[in-house]
Amino acid sequence: MHVRGIIWILALLCMIYGLGMLVTACVALASASHSVVMFGGYGAVLVLLAGAVSLFSGPAPKHLTHRDGFLMVSLAWLLLSLLGAVPFVISGVSHTFGDAMFESVSGLTTTGATVLTGLDATDPAILFWRSMQQWLGGIGIVVLVVAVIPFLGAGGMQLLKAEVPGPVKDKLTSRVSQTAKALWGIYVGLTLACTLAYWWAGMSVFDAVNHAMSTLSTGGFSTHDASFGYYRLPALHIIAIVFMLAASVNFSLHFAAAHRGFSLRHYFLDDEFKFYILVLSVLILLIAWVALPLPGSSWDEVVFSAVSVITTTGFTVGDYSLWPSGCILLLLLMMLTGACAGSTSGGMKLIRVLLLFRHVRRELHRLIHPHGVMQLRIGDHTVPQGLAESLWGFAVLYFFSFFIVAVVVALSGVDILTSLSASAACLSNTGPGFGDVGPAGNYAALPDVSKWVLMLAMVVGRLEIYTFFVLFIPEFWRK
Amino acid sequence: MNFRGVTWTIGILTVFFGASMMVPALVAWHYHTGHISDFIAAGLIVSAIGFVAMRMAGGAPESLSHRDGFLIVALAWVVLALLGAVPFWTTGTAVTVMDALFESTSGLTTTGATVFSGLDAMPPSILFWRSMEEWVGGMGIIVLAVAIMPLLGIGGMQLFRAEAPGPVKDKLTARVTETGKILWYMYLVMTCIVVVVYWSLGMSGFDAINHAMCTIAIGGFSTHDASMGYFDSLPLRLAAVFFMFASGINFTLHFAALRRGLSSNLPFTYFSDDEFRAYLKWMFVLILIVGAPTLFTAKGSWDEVLFNTVAVATTTGFAVSDYEQWPVVTNMILFVAMFAGACAGSTGGGMKMVRVLLLFRQGMREVRRLIHPHAVVPVKLNGNKVTGSVVEALWGFFVLYIVCFIIIAVLVAASGVDMLTALTSAAACMTNTGPGFGGVGPADNYANLPDFAKAVLMFGMVLGRLEIFTFFVLLVPEFWKK
Repeated sequence: MHVRGIIWILALLCMIYGLGMLVTACVALASASHSVVMFGGYGAVLVLLAGAVSLFSGPAPKHLTHRDGFLMVSLAWLLLSLLGAVPFVISGVSHTFGDAMFESVSGLTTTGATVLTGLDATDPAILFWRSMQQWLGGIGIVVLVVAVIPFLGAGGMQLLKAEVPGPVKDKLTSRVSQTAKALWGIYVGLTLACTLAYWWAGMSVFDAVNHAMSTLSTGGFSTHDASFGYYRLPALHIIAIVFMLAASVNFSLHFAAAHRGFSLRHYFLDDEFKFYILVLSVLILLIAWVALPLPGSSWDEVVFSAVSVITTTGFTVGDYSLWPSGCILLLLLMMLTGACAGSTSGGMKLIRVLLLFRHVRRELHRLIHPHGVMQLRIGDHTVPQGLAESLWGFAVLYFFSFFIVAVVVALSGVDILTSLSASAACLSNTGPGFGDVGPAGNYAALPDVSKWVLMLAMVVGRLEIYTFFVLFIPEFWRK
Repeated sequence: MNFRGVTWTIGILTVFFGASMMVPALVAWHYHTGHISDFIAAGLIVSAIGFVAMRMAGGAPESLSHRDGFLIVALAWVVLALLGAVPFWTTGTAVTVMDALFESTSGLTTTGATVFSGLDAMPPSILFWRSMEEWVGGMGIIVLAVAIMPLLGIGGMQLFRAEAPGPVKDKLTARVTETGKILWYMYLVMTCIVVVVYWSLGMSGFDAINHAMCTIAIGGFSTHDASMGYFDSLPLRLAAVFFMFASGINFTLHFAALRRGLSSNLPFTYFSDDEFRAYLKWMFVLILIVGAPTLFTAKGSWDEVLFNTVAVATTTGFAVSDYEQWPVVTNMILFVAMFAGACAGSTGGGMKMVRVLLLFRQGMREVRRLIHPHAVVPVKLNGNKVTGSVVEALWGFFVLYIVCFIIIAVLVAASGVDMLTALTSAAACMTNTGPGFGGVGPADNYANLPDFAKAVLMFGMVLGRLEIFTFFVLLVPEFWKK
């Protein structure tokens, strides 16, 4: 275990986080908020402290192993969540430490589940900090899922290893820094484009920046209690749909497309992307078929909600928990599947679902031809046996985690629909669920125990399960 | 595809099925409750259909291939489930055709979901026919699970190919007939034992026979609206718990125990089996985690916990009290327990213990592999390495099972049923358990569901019973090619 190396990287991340606080302090200054001192002071302390630690821990690490990677990723999410909760506590927005942690974890994991109400009247700096946390979490995730997780091979994601932009090296550190540089530009570019589009379509600058940050990170925090329902302009909804979709596509694809002159054709060469479009269209049609006849529902609402849920963003324009139970089940399902791997969206990721389907199809053929040799393919690649196995392991662990979390939440005295959907919404990093935690409600009323369990679910879901569970195997800690 | 052979086989099964309807006619005659002629008429109609099918097909088939096997198994369940509804229709018990079909499918797949109420006042012959359908269905399942599934390799069941009693041949017909004889003998003897035990512990003769048939078949139909709750006797409940548990064990194990004699190594025979140990541990854990919140909140007594948990976890579906009133968390655990089900090679439903065990072992191996990316760690069962193709088949099964569950739940929900009822009825039917929660809880039944939901759930029962793949393989175009 390369402890110094891990500390150095964590310090670096804290420094970035501190800079985020300083940006928030600027926002506070601009909006004449009284939290300037808090954000400025806290940010400065964080930056200085992190700088001191990174100096103390010596030069940048050159060689990090698999294990260091796992430990670093889990620690980073936990530490940053903790640091991010401090402003909520100091400013008094959250009454308990649990609530502050919940908001912070939910932000950093781009979940978007909230315990705050009265957002419209909340200090703009706090609102900005929430969005900022999601945005920072989002870039962290993009680097994590595009560079780190395929490298670690968690849940069959070594499949994407070859497709990562940047040099294909077998060194974790150089790979991460190269990829981060490449993806950083795309992420920032998309965010700017989204901000401008929102602003052009009629949002205030502050709202446009906030919503753009939580759109691109598929987070879902809003500056209004009514979420996107606050805006009645269809143009805004369409822009949000487009950017949610963009954020939920594999960033490697954006990267490749950017290098080849942004042709859409390139996207349609990708199996996962095609599957994504297919699944999304079918589900939208199914939901529309059931929900459209209801009074007061519109195509706008159906498409927006479906996209928001499958990309695990969690923006809402209407209360979809009032739809018939068939629609609710479909939405619950979409949360759990999520969108594409290598994006900021949560859930199981469609590439895994696609491979599982192909696997089932192959098993059916094998029943007819018991001795036939049939390969599992994705794109032009044959999927090796070991990879397929880790994929299935992932599926089971995912369902297992979902049930355990739901059971524990139910144990704390919550009704069955709320506990099931809260578990799904947090594990898949979506945010709003159904029942008490539906679009019209929020997580504030849940018992403390279930809040902590759901926080854990968010982190576990964000880290693609394996990355977290591997820390609990005694072998991991042996030399 | 040997269509003549398939038709003949279905025909002869139908003839026997029709003939079995004479037994409830005898019951009707004994109790002087009428319906004698109704059952005889039903039997004649069904037998005639079977006879016509046999005549059309010519003689017995010489050999049947794998593919014929798939088709026979799927058709047999569908055809017999439909024809089993005839007595409900001729006797006028069921109000609608859909209800008659639902009850019959639920019986033959040993699900135990019912649309009938007022059972205590129902003619004994009809009650007997329900129980008997489960018992007959159980016989079919035993042969299916022990002899046919391993041979066809459904969802990893090729694991048990060499372990079935009877000759290890690769000919479907020979294997099925040989193994069938041994298994049915055991099945019959076990049923008789249960009848005697139930009767000696205080049930009436009629109740003892009915409940014994439903226990061994892991069905769950009762002759009383209160199900087993009607009998307020602790020894009787404990006996039922024991027999439900025993019926959920792989019949191959029972056979092995029998062959080695009931000597001192009897426990060894059972305990040397990985699946049995997992099954036992699973039951203990379930009882503990269901029992703790229930007893703590004083919503139920320990014998109720024991009975209801075992009844749900073995997918029997008997109930001694309304366990839906227990804390929410127990309901969720019981919901999950349905999916795991009992052991492979038994009359139980669900995904089967051995599959859950292997999936779990494989999942743990994957976590290990993250730390040692190049280590070769085989998944083992009973000391033998499980081959890659078996593991793959298991995964395919697991995925398809979950997908089917979700589709069925969505369809039921789309017919206008609330979420909890939709989810649990889909689970209870697919796993062949019977009672779910919400509108189909232990205190309610399936009568109030819309017809569309009933049809979907009937499909779910057959799907679950056929271990899913047997049905889906029929939908692959290649299956029908020469």
